[in-house]
Amino acid sequence: MLGVITYLIVLAGIKLVVIAHGTPIYLDSPESFAFVVMVPLTASFTYFLALFTFGLDGDLAARQSMFPARRFTLPLTTTALAGWPMLYGSVAIVLLWLALRTFALWPAGVELPTIWPALLAVSLLAWTQALTWMPYPLPGLRIIMAVLCLGTIDTTALLALHFHARGSLMIGIVAPQIPLAYIVGRIAVARARRGELPDWRGGFVRVAHIADALSHRREHFRSAASAQAWYEWRRYGSSLPAWVGILLPFELVLLWVAGDSTSLVFTILAGVLLTPPFVATFAAAAVSNSSSSASDSYVVTAFIATRPLTNAELVAAKLRMAMRSTVVAWLLVLVSIPIALKFSGTSAIVLDRWHRVGEIVGMPRAVVLSLLILAGCIALTWTQLVQSLYIGLTGRASLIKGSVFLVLGFFFLFGPFAEWIIDSRRLGEVWSALPLIFAVLVGLKMIAAVWIGVRLHDRHLVSDRTLVTGAACWSLAVFALYGVLIWLLDTPHIPHYLLMLIAILAIPLARLSAAPLALAWNRHR
Amino acid sequence: MAQVTAPVIDVTELTRRFDSKTALDSVTLSLPRGAVYGLVGANGAGKTTLIKHILGLLRAQSGSVRVFGLDPVADPVGVLSHIGYLSEENDLPGWMRVDELIRFSRAFYPAWDDGYAEELRQSFALDPAAKIKNLSKGQKARMGLLIALAYRPDLLVLDEPSSGLDPIVRRDILGAIIRTIAHEGRTVLFSSHLLEEVEQVADHVTMINHGKIVLSAPLEDIRESHRVDGRVPSLDEIFVARVGMSPAAAEE
Repeated sequence: MLGVITYLIVLAGIKLVVIAHGTPIYLDSPESFAFVVMVPLTASFTYFLALFTFGLDGDLAARQSMFPARRFTLPLTTTALAGWPMLYGSVAIVLLWLALRTFALWPAGVELPTIWPALLAVSLLAWTQALTWMPYPLPGLRIIMAVLCLGTIDTTALLALHFHARGSLMIGIVAPQIPLAYIVGRIAVARARRGELPDWRGGFVRVAHIADALSHRREHFRSAASAQAWYEWRRYGSSLPAWVGILLPFELVLLWVAGDSTSLVFTILAGVLLTPPFVATFAAAAVSNSSSSASDSYVVTAFIATRPLTNAELVAAKLRMAMRSTVVAWLLVLVSIPIALKFSGTSAIVLDRWHRVGEIVGMPRAVVLSLLILAGCIALTWTQLVQSLYIGLTGRASLIKGSVFLVLGFFFLFGPFAEWIIDSRRLGEVWSALPLIFAVLVGLKMIAAVWIGVRLHDRHLVSDRTLVTGAACWSLAVFALYGVLIWLLDTPHIPHYLLMLIAILAIPLARLSAAPLALAWNRHR
Repeated sequence: MAQVTAPVIDVTELTRRFDSKTALDSVTLSLPRGAVYGLVGANGAGKTTLIKHILGLLRAQSGSVRVFGLDPVADPVGVLSHIGYLSEENDLPGWMRVDELIRFSRAFYPAWDDGYAEELRQSFALDPAAKIKNLSKGQKARMGLLIALAYRPDLLVLDEPSSGLDPIVRRDILGAIIRTIAHEGRTVLFSSHLLEEVEQVADHVTMINHGKIVLSAPLEDIRESHRVDGRVPSLDEIFVARVGMSPAAAEE
């Protein structure tokens, strides 16, 4: 909270001081305002939701209440148990809104009401808390309920805004939801405290038996590596496909309301295609976790640490699992898109555009371009899943949490910096400096890769043959991407060496190579 | 595998600190092949820290650790493929079924004996379709014992295996130790604070207190050297004489 408020104060300070010196930063366009203020604020709001629902410690898809069971033994009434976290959360959210209202909206000259947005934020938090603490009769039902309930609240507010509802009406719509959410939250905690856990799984016995039969391993494993890959798959592999599977119907159903709007259809499709890499960003936290237990410890468990496998083999099992997870998630996407297009009647729009693109750039080029975009999305999904292994596998809580704050901090600083670049008309200078910036980044990447390679070699974490093979494969991938980029962007405005630098930066190397080092640091403390 | 004549475990001047606390203080220990070694001490004495070094889960800050002549940190595969390990924590994956865990573990050890594993499963009355998370604490200990024994490891490491378990499971564990040493050349390292158990099966006892080895000798030699007026004291009495308190009392 303090960090966010400090950020906003700094933002407002910069704004006011800079205005005083005659070179204002304009935050008045919706895009720039969203970039500088709303993105960090949304990240903070999401973090608050996770924090005040105790959602950071539990399993969202589980039937059990996510309210910490250890609190049930406290000598407090159920009303107090449920009420205090809801009250603390509400106060924090209101403070966040007031900070935004005071330090960001006011200096930016954006006129927004004070009361009803605060009530809306409190309502969203209170409902999230109530739904998170409720025990459910079926696994995964919590996620569906949350999407439906929070989606309804959001949609109601957006519709009211769309029809220019007055502030008093907005308050009338939003305010009653808060006590209702508090009551539901209290009921949820009471049921969880009494140990009530309804079970409707009996009605799904056949489905459960099929799922069980499918997941039950009955054959022997070919090798230790395949056994470890199976372990990783069973433990973490289903997260990405499951989340993509849950989100896809909600996204694709929008095709039915898109009608003849070409832009809307393609926006929905772009959203669908970006879903796997987006979800992979969050699923990566589970994939890179070195602890197989659900506890908050990051230390690799003795069960895994005592497997007679090298650190590189343990990491390879995670990489294989990530690959399989990516393929399954994308199969879901690639199967469901044509079905949704066909039955929503929007396939004609897509085919028409496809033929027009084919006429403009030539059909072979259009096909290759589409395949490249698809391959890029799939590669991006896999990269998102595995790119934080080098942090997660260290098993050091301070490093893991520190990296999260570093990323958030980067986004916090990136917004104002980018805004400054745009507003001070320095885009041309940045464009001219791009080759130098990329060259420096490539230099840093190569230095890191060499440093990691030397350590992998010195500590015998990876065999010489694997190191050479890995380097050769990476070089091959870089040259392949370079070739594709030259073929795609055949223009005198972009020099070829710049494309080579982009290819070097795009293909993962240093962070991926560091994963065995990180695991060794964790496994042999 | 290194030389056959080398000790199974060879620890030299091993020191380990956790912040300001010294968990192991210049520990030197050499365990030849083919015997049962009891490692006794109170909670926090350094038993688990020593065992974690032997398994390669902790890196020696100073001194050296060799198991089968190999460094367990530098060559985890070479060391761990010959060790069966059961710990008090018993962190078996709860989502696996008994038969899945058996198949999973089998893949890591070429010497896995299917017949022996099935014999152990039946004698421990483990339902192959049961999920590990639904097993009782005693059944989990038996499951851990099964996967530690089924490939007849050269070295069986048991870290407080019977802590908090009922007498029947403790009997199973002691039986497993006896079965293991029945195979010639195999070695057992067994840490416990229950000295009467150690006394039943150990050939050699190492007492550890505050990270230091206070006594390490064959059990018979220890008994003889502590004989008072012709009476042979129990291991618990010897421990009290050496350390000042019983490990079981220290637990409480």
